Amino acid sequence: MFASLPNRRDLLTSGLAAGLALLARPEFVFPGQSDDEVLVPFENVPRSSPESLDWETLTEWLTPQDQVFSVQHYDIPEIDVSSFALEISGLVEHRKSLSLEDLRALPREDQFMTLECSGNGAAPGFSGAVYNSRWTGTRLAPLLKACGVKPGAVEVVFFGHDRKTETLRPGTPRELSVEVPFGRSLSLADATGLNPLLAYERNGEPLARRNGAPLRLIVPGWYGIANVKWLRRIEVRDRRYMGRYMGRDYVTVRGEKQGDEIMYVESSVTRMNLKSVIARVMRRSATDGRITLRAYGAVWNDGTPIDRVEVQLDGGEWQPATLDVEPLEPHSWRFFSIELSGVEPGRHTLVSRGIDKQGRIQPSAQDDEIARKKTYWEACQQWPREISLES
Amino acid sequence: MCSSLRSRLPLNPRTHVKRRQFAILQLVFLVSVARGGSLLPAGESGDTGTIEGTVTYRADSARPWRYSRHYIRRPGSGELSEAVVAIRRLRSEKDTTPREPQTVNIDQKDFQFVPELVAIRAGDSVHFTNSDDSIHNVRASTRIATFNVTVPPRGSHTERFPKAGGIRDPVHIGCVFHSSMRAWIFVFDHPHFAVTDVMGRFRLTGLPPGQYELEMAHPAGELRRMSKVEVPAGQSITVDISVSPDDKR
Repeated sequence: MFASLPNRRDLLTSGLAAGLALLARPEFVFPGQSDDEVLVPFENVPRSSPESLDWETLTEWLTPQDQVFSVQHYDIPEIDVSSFALEISGLVEHRKSLSLEDLRALPREDQFMTLECSGNGAAPGFSGAVYNSRWTGTRLAPLLKACGVKPGAVEVVFFGHDRKTETLRPGTPRELSVEVPFGRSLSLADATGLNPLLAYERNGEPLARRNGAPLRLIVPGWYGIANVKWLRRIEVRDRRYMGRYMGRDYVTVRGEKQGDEIMYVESSVTRMNLKSVIARVMRRSATDGRITLRAYGAVWNDGTPIDRVEVQLDGGEWQPATLDVEPLEPHSWRFFSIELSGVEPGRHTLVSRGIDKQGRIQPSAQDDEIARKKTYWEACQQWPREISLES
Repeated sequence: MCSSLRSRLPLNPRTHVKRRQFAILQLVFLVSVARGGSLLPAGESGDTGTIEGTVTYRADSARPWRYSRHYIRRPGSGELSEAVVAIRRLRSEKDTTPREPQTVNIDQKDFQFVPELVAIRAGDSVHFTNSDDSIHNVRASTRIATFNVTVPPRGSHTERFPKAGGIRDPVHIGCVFHSSMRAWIFVFDHPHFAVTDVMGRFRLTGLPPGQYELEMAHPAGELRRMSKVEVPAGQSITVDISVSPDDKR
């Protein structure tokens, strides 16, 4: 485990001191690692780069800003905070226009959450689009209640400041081009029941521009696409919103077995699937020709309690890893570790799988859930790591 | 006849001069490992000189470089790969030797630009391809090049670079959809540049004798270093470049 990781109380009360202590460490010697442990590089993982999680040097439970990814489908808008206003409109008794100061004056709450891009893991080089944060802001549900949602409302749509011209039915006589804002929606039940946050801070700092400043939606347990950045307007509507990123993209197409037939079903990308990843493997010097390895990693999902993580070496028996007890937040990742002794020099494959309290097991790439998935998103399959050990 | 000389302006304690005795195989190896950099000068003659050496990085535990492991194979000795090394004449003279423009390839594979760095001549082109199943984009907004082109899966785009920015003004390439994707294109108006190989080695040949500024840049590490050197006629000098976090720019 990441033995000397700061726990939640440390993070909250001595965040600066803990951060400085980590910064003062030698060149990426990991916490809890003994002096004779050295990193074993993965042979099937391309190099990492800034603005993306660097798994092999993962030490911090709360991800530092230089390792936070961003994906944007339109532009990155520049917003004047002094004139910023969030509009709440549609099927409500009282429309509202709230400045950032108005929002900051409302009850302030934290939401710990691991946020992952739903495409993360779709390719070996795209595996760092996940990060863990303490988001701070005000809850959506009390605001909606104060606005008075009218009967007939079924959805709440969140529009960003980012805009683009979208072309429908391109190349046909019915081609249509219109400029639209980025938008995603939640059912009214989810908008109130999931307890979303209107966030203006991440890890105690104002949001970075590329991560949605000054205000973004945080939907606990949902993939990144649902967490609308550069939030401009919240609109309560009486019918389904079908913008590109709700109705046409971020739609998973998966073959489901119905008797003897495979039926392809299209479903919206919403809750994060159970996923675990081996972040890095350390080794010690060989003793009598055998090597002891220690693998470290993380597991996360939509908030369903995690039961355990298991690790497999070279297709052998699944072995239980040790889950860190702290920090523990329902929507944040948990770190795990496992020691594997008596490993022979040569090439090896390690892989982990998470198992939640509902009995769900993280699938392999060969399992039907992944093998019959024809689209890019929800890449929650196991991630085998290939290593080579010298004697 | 070559003689043993020392650079008048030593760059570091290992600066020294060697006889110009390079096996053809060594030369072929160095040319082949450099990514896009032209090591072979036009019009090389017996009067020209050579600068060769190794770029190394000295780590400082107080100022760690998280991604150094991608560029330094042996942390103990610190040989730095993917550094651009080039000369800059103290008297500016453009190279006007006629040449055929070249095209180098940068692929978008596994959500990365591969290679991450190329060095080319002004007038050359870069052919961007997309081997991923995902949509990508190539975007640059710099003094010498501005473009923003979407590259669909299996698609491509070719961009010509007519202007040189030298070592100080590379073209920083990104993808608007994926913030962690990055690459650099160094464009020169002369042939005297190289990209260090996995052992940190570089070699600049065909240099007319004279004084030069020898510049090194490693954009991923944000490292820059410049020193003055003198290249004698018909001689090869070895200039080893050692950088540290003090050279972050």
